[in-house]
Amino acid sequence: MSEYAIEVENLCVNYKSLKSYSIKKNLLLGKRNKTQICEAVKNVSFKVKKGEILGIVGKNGSGKSTMLRAIAGIFAPNSGTVDLHGNSISLLAIGIGFQKELSGRDNIVLSGMLLGFTKEQINEKMEQIIEFSELGDFIDAPVRTYSSGMHSKLAFSITAILETQIILIDEVLSVGDARFKKKSYKKMKELITDEDRTVVIVSHDHKTIADLCDKVLWINDGELVQFGETEAVLAAYDEYMK
Amino acid sequence: MINRFLTDIRKYFSFSVTSARSQLKTEVASSYLNWIWWILDPLCFMLIYTYIFGYVFKSNEQYFPVFIFVGLSMWDFFNHTLKSSVKIVKRNKSVVSRVYFPKYILIVAQLLADAFKMAISFGIVVLMMIFFKIPISWNVLFFIPIIATLMLFTFGCSCIVMHFGVYVEDLSNVVNIALRFLFYLTGIFYNIKKRIPDIGAYLNDFNPLASLISAMRDCLIYCRTPNLLFLGIWFAVSVVLAVCGVALVYKEENSYLKAV
Repeated sequence: MSEYAIEVENLCVNYKSLKSYSIKKNLLLGKRNKTQICEAVKNVSFKVKKGEILGIVGKNGSGKSTMLRAIAGIFAPNSGTVDLHGNSISLLAIGIGFQKELSGRDNIVLSGMLLGFTKEQINEKMEQIIEFSELGDFIDAPVRTYSSGMHSKLAFSITAILETQIILIDEVLSVGDARFKKKSYKKMKELITDEDRTVVIVSHDHKTIADLCDKVLWINDGELVQFGETEAVLAAYDEYMK
Repeated sequence: MINRFLTDIRKYFSFSVTSARSQLKTEVASSYLNWIWWILDPLCFMLIYTYIFGYVFKSNEQYFPVFIFVGLSMWDFFNHTLKSSVKIVKRNKSVVSRVYFPKYILIVAQLLADAFKMAISFGIVVLMMIFFKIPISWNVLFFIPIIATLMLFTFGCSCIVMHFGVYVEDLSNVVNIALRFLFYLTGIFYNIKKRIPDIGAYLNDFNPLASLISAMRDCLIYCRTPNLLFLGIWFAVSVVLAVCGVALVYKEENSYLKAV
């Protein structure tokens, strides 16, 4: 096995203005959409060692989430490569991942299957997930009835208990009430101390990054500004954000 | 591409089964009469059509209620799957934006859910055949290739519609109108060959749905061998459509998320 878990090389992701258009606008009014190309991630390269925790910082709209999605394989990059060396990967982000009409339990099964687990493996961990999520009887209610806190708790529990080799976390460590926050933070630390687990965290919370990460990547407007040891990068980033 | 398709299907098939099952379960949970609707729905429409066209318009097909029911079951399957496919990516945005999977898996799940309802419908057809004491012959075995063709055809069309549905906001309006027109040209509740002079016979062969439905009626109700030439042709067309659809989805699916 290679010592790297994630290798990203010259990654570029563009958003074409693929706005969905209506037939009326296009045919009747003869208006054409101008194709604007927005470069969300420009030429970013970095490597993450197996078992390492990488933090990503940058202001809003600088391409952090897009990059995570590209790493998770949800977007294909326009150029450049992402090599995961065959590791399984899951992405945890706010407000995504559930089919609202289905119950929490069904959603656990479906999410797990999409992450590449078999039904048996998921059923084995089912109780553990439900317990960790603290949802109790709500687990059999449709997800649309959940509060946003419950929603995030469930999402976090699935990712935390069904352990994939690489976990990408997009701004969700600050979910739930104080108790759940503490618990998820603890769980995160536990996962992090695991030698085989590679984690990428996007966060605006400096304490989290400083506390958890081995290395930090700072991107601004899609470009890599600095990549290195946590303290040095955070210091430079703080200076910039003033 | 064929290889990729086969591995993907193998990998995600259990997901689509589970997804279809939970979709059906939700449907059941959110209505009072729950699964009884799956029987009641086609049954009521069959009664309406039998009344309107049997008594008001004096249609004189043999075994008219069964005639309608066969058509209706197959039509509902095609109609519902295709209609759902238009916005299927948008509806599943939450899942699509979380993890990669081939997007036609969404259609497979939808197809399975609708196929389950069609299976119930055909269960009723069997009961009706017993009730009306319809004689059967070995021709009923053509049921299998006809259903296979119908599924493949629906899958191919749905993939293509799904692709354009991502970008074209009001495609669903167009699809609804086209489907309604096709509905009347398919002869669900009348015999297309007898009722439309001159072009009826052509319509019966060259409209895929009409062709498949009349083949099904031939083999189930009238102990006749269906028109094998056209069954073969439509099977071939369905294969081509499905291959094109899957190729299209593979090529374009990465940009779907940027548009929804």
